[in-house]
Amino acid sequence: MDNSHSYKMSTVHRHHETSRKESEDESRLPALEAAYTDILRHLGEDTDREGLLRTPLRAAKAIQFLTKGYHETIDDILNNAIFDEDHDEMVIVKDIDMFSLCEHHMVPFFGKVHIGYIPNKKVVGLSKLARIVEIFSRRLQVQERLTKQIATGISEALQPKGVAVVIEAAHMCMVMRGVQKMNSRTVTSAMLGVYLEDPKTREEFLYLSRRT
Amino acid sequence: MDRSKQNKYSSNEKNDNGDGGSVLNGHFDGMVKRAAGGPQAPGAESAPHRSTSAVMESWKEERTRSLEDNEMSLPSLAAAYTTILRGLGENPQRQGLLKTPWRAATAMQFFTKGYQEKIIDVLNDAIFDEDHDEMVIVKDIDMFSMCEHHLVPIFGRVHIGYLPNKRVLGLSKLARQVHLLYFQERLTKQIAVAITEALQPTGVGVVIEATHMCMVMRGVQKMNSKTVTSTMLGNFREDPKTRDEFLRLIKS
Repeated sequence: MDNSHSYKMSTVHRHHETSRKESEDESRLPALEAAYTDILRHLGEDTDREGLLRTPLRAAKAIQFLTKGYHETIDDILNNAIFDEDHDEMVIVKDIDMFSLCEHHMVPFFGKVHIGYIPNKKVVGLSKLARIVEIFSRRLQVQERLTKQIATGISEALQPKGVAVVIEAAHMCMVMRGVQKMNSRTVTSAMLGVYLEDPKTREEFLYLSRRT
Repeated sequence: MDRSKQNKYSSNEKNDNGDGGSVLNGHFDGMVKRAAGGPQAPGAESAPHRSTSAVMESWKEERTRSLEDNEMSLPSLAAAYTTILRGLGENPQRQGLLKTPWRAATAMQFFTKGYQEKIIDVLNDAIFDEDHDEMVIVKDIDMFSMCEHHLVPIFGRVHIGYLPNKRVLGLSKLARQVHLLYFQERLTKQIAVAITEALQPTGVGVVIEATHMCMVMRGVQKMNSKTVTSTMLGNFREDPKTRDEFLRLIKS
C-alpha cells in the first residue's frame, strides 16, 4: 500500500495486508491461472476437458474476489460517513453475513457477525459497519484475528465508549475434512472499553444480539 | 464408445463432455464388466475390453489416483499454492502461512479423493440377496464437493431411494460421501447410475439439494439460494405414484 496518502494509516492494518493494489489484480491473473492449472493436473484431472477449460481463470478471479479485502482500508470507506450525534446509547448491528478463507487451509469459513458500540458523540453510518466486516473478512484469516481487527478498526475510527464484536462461524476445514464435525460452530468475541469493564453493558449486548 | 447393450434405465441422456454415459447391463457375478472409458483420459487404455477382473469405470474419465501419486504430487501442489499466496499479495513467510501451502494441498487432495476410489470397491462387498421389494430410502446424507468451474466448495444433502429387485445394498454404502470435481447435475446422475449398475433395482431416485459457495460468496452473492437436481430411473421415472411416494418421504 502506498504510504504517501495524507491521512494517517490505521494501525490495525499490518503492512502486508494492504500490499495489494486493485490495479495489480489484472496483471497477477496469469500467474494465478498457471498455478491453478498445475493444481488441477496434479490432482489427476484432465485440464483439456470441456468443463475445466476455463476453470483456472475462473478460480483465479474467484480467489481474488474472496481476498479483495486486501485492497481496502478502513480510512477509505469511513472518511465521509462519521457524523456528530448526541447519542450515547448502545447501537447494535447483528446477523451480518460474513465469508472468509481460513489461512491455514485456504478453505472457506462463514457465519454471522454481531457488532455493538456505544458512541461518544460520533456515530457511523450503519452499513459502514457491515463494510468494515467485509474489509477484514475478505482475506486469508483466522477467526480470532478477524474479530479483533473489526473491533479495533471501529474503535480507532470512532473513539466510542466501547465496542463489542461476536462472530459465530462454521469452518469448512473442520466440516469437510479433518474431524468432519458437521454442526460445530466456532464463536469468538472481542470486548473493548466499557464492554470490557462493565459486565452489565456486556450482558445487554449479548442479550440483544442473541438468536431470536 | 461401447453402447452395445443399453440398459433400459438410461434413456435420452445427452452426451456431456464425451464421457459417454453408456450404461452396460453388467453381469453380476461379483464383478461388473468395464465399459470403454472416455476419449479424453490421458494415458487411458485404448482396448475397450479387459478381463472380468477389471473394475467398472463407466462413469470415470481418469485413471484412478493412487496414494503414491498423492505423495508425489504434494510438492508441486504446495508450490502452486505458494504462487497463489504471493499472487494475492500475501507474505508466505509469515507465521500463519508458513505451512499453508502443504495444508491446502493435502486438503484439496482430500476433497477430490473420489479420484482414488472405485465405486465398485465401495459398493461391492455390501450387496446382499434379500427378498425385499418395498422402497428403501436413505435421506439427508451430507455431501461435500467442489464446483469444477471455480474450485469452490459445494455442500448439501443427498436423498436416495430405490426399489430392490432381490438385491439390497448395505445402507452406509449409500451414504459414502462423494468427493469429486463435478457438476451437481452430473453427480446426481452418477450416483443413480452407480446404484443401478451394482444392484439392478426396479428403480432408483436421487435428489440433491446443495448450496454453491460460488454463488453465495461471490458472483451473484445470493445467500439463501439452493440448487436442487434429481435423477429418476426405472420405476421412479415411469410410475408417477412411486416417484410421488419417494418425493413425499424425503420431504418430511
